[in-house]
Amino acid sequence: MSNNLILKNSYRIVENGDSAITLLFDLPPSEQLTKVIMQLSYLLKCRFPETPGLSELIPAYNSLTICFDPLGFSVKSLKSLLVELLQEDLTGYVYQASLIKIPVCYHQSLAPDINFIANHAGIDVQDVIVKHTQPEYLVHMLGFLPGFLYLGGLNPELCCPRKQVPKLSIAPGSVGIGGDQTGIYPVASPGGWHIIGQTPLNLFAVGTEKPFIAAPLDRVKFVEISLAEFNDRSEQVR
Amino acid sequence: MAIHFIKAGLQTSIQDGGRRGLMHQGVSTSGAMDSTAMAMANGLVGKAQTSALFEFTIIGPVIEFSQSLHISITGAKFELTLNNLPVSSYQTIQVKAGDKLNFGKRLQGARAYMAFSGDLLFENKVLLNVLGSKATHLTAGYGGINGKAIRDNTKFSINFPDIESQVPLRNIDHRHVAHYGHNCFLRCVSAPESSLFNAAQQERFYHQTFKVNPNSNRMGLRLEGEPINFHRPMNITSSGLIQGSIQIPPSGLPIISSVDGQTIGGYPRIAVVISADLDKLAQLAPNDNVIFVKVSQAQALTILKNKQQQLSKALHGSATLPIRI
Repeated sequence: MSNNLILKNSYRIVENGDSAITLLFDLPPSEQLTKVIMQLSYLLKCRFPETPGLSELIPAYNSLTICFDPLGFSVKSLKSLLVELLQEDLTGYVYQASLIKIPVCYHQSLAPDINFIANHAGIDVQDVIVKHTQPEYLVHMLGFLPGFLYLGGLNPELCCPRKQVPKLSIAPGSVGIGGDQTGIYPVASPGGWHIIGQTPLNLFAVGTEKPFIAAPLDRVKFVEISLAEFNDRSEQVR
Repeated sequence: MAIHFIKAGLQTSIQDGGRRGLMHQGVSTSGAMDSTAMAMANGLVGKAQTSALFEFTIIGPVIEFSQSLHISITGAKFELTLNNLPVSSYQTIQVKAGDKLNFGKRLQGARAYMAFSGDLLFENKVLLNVLGSKATHLTAGYGGINGKAIRDNTKFSINFPDIESQVPLRNIDHRHVAHYGHNCFLRCVSAPESSLFNAAQQERFYHQTFKVNPNSNRMGLRLEGEPINFHRPMNITSSGLIQGSIQIPPSGLPIISSVDGQTIGGYPRIAVVISADLDKLAQLAPNDNVIFVKVSQAQALTILKNKQQQLSKALHGSATLPIRI
């Protein structure tokens, strides 16, 4: 079935306050869906390149949230524009996806919860590392914190409910598992994920030309490094 | 040094109009929580509405000036004194070297703003834009002064204070000055998950008075009250989270997203505060009462148009004050 055939019968456009609408697909997250959402976002950006106009386009797993100036647009006109765009061929999103290798040190000193995850999965710590470094994860979107990557593809064996009581502060670069997701805290933050390692990379390089290391549809692979290498590379970053 | 914070206050940061178009990278809007108070403060010193200024929270600062400047103070009401004499907010104030400005008791609201003539320098450097803005994101630690709140004994200097220029001394007509009581009505329209909440849950949301939890900040306001219980957990897929979204986490107690809020959220949203009422979030102090009122999209738009007209009148109609010698 072509993309558009699936799409035509499976979306809703809902109001999201007085200055945003959200296009929701009643479909599970997938690479195809992320491509369609990115293409829509691209088409909207092309139509309204100037600000003020559409101030924010926020893609997510199965949605696109569009923020607009209510004095310049009406919900009605945006809805009909979206309906019109959804008739177009949305399979043509052109993006040169990269495979981004993220070094992670899984040493106990940087992985306070790796034993917990191993126990929860009923496997040993080395298997946690193997299963975590094995997949090529898909970047669905960025959000929550600056540069935080929402990754798809965590091995179901490693899934684990979030902590009941979130930790008050998690170090930047911490790699965690929460529910069926895995991710990296780009900045210090409170958080309820189980921390299984840390990367020396800076995922939010403020003040540089390229503050974010990845974009939607890129792929991420975790590569295990030793504590010595972690310390070495941490110094280079700082 | 032109502006010396002898005492910084509880949480003082540099803010401006914030960041636009970066939410898809996880970067929240940030900026002054009360955009009307920001616009008025900047207008009074002859600057663009979204210029960088100081935001004070709950406890204001003690400042000594060492240079002639124009300043203005707006937003939350404090007992203000300049050299131990009462001084009013919502007007251009001419300060000179040696003047001491003191924020005393807080009378109304939670956040005050101070704008100044000229360009702010820290450690002899002009403040840089980070991702297009000077706004400080305190939780994530970027923007402003190294992403941090201003500490006691911090000094800033000012370039081109323009005190000799023709910027008239003005005030904002009292009719345009907002008053902040302890009871706040927040008008709402629907959110993507509004329809998932049943009549009893909606009733509980719209027909009770919530209290502001002291654990509220620029990311979000946490409310206390009778929880909006779920019969079974609502599992929704995370999606774009905008300012004013009212999320209901498993505790059943609402959290209202604000300027520094996360850009993607996974809790169901029962409603969204209308754009015109977002400024009110800035002025909610711990234990203030909040009541949600449902309005239509058409009403929200009318309210916003009126608000913008009022702001424009306030800024353009601000009366010129006689020069104080």
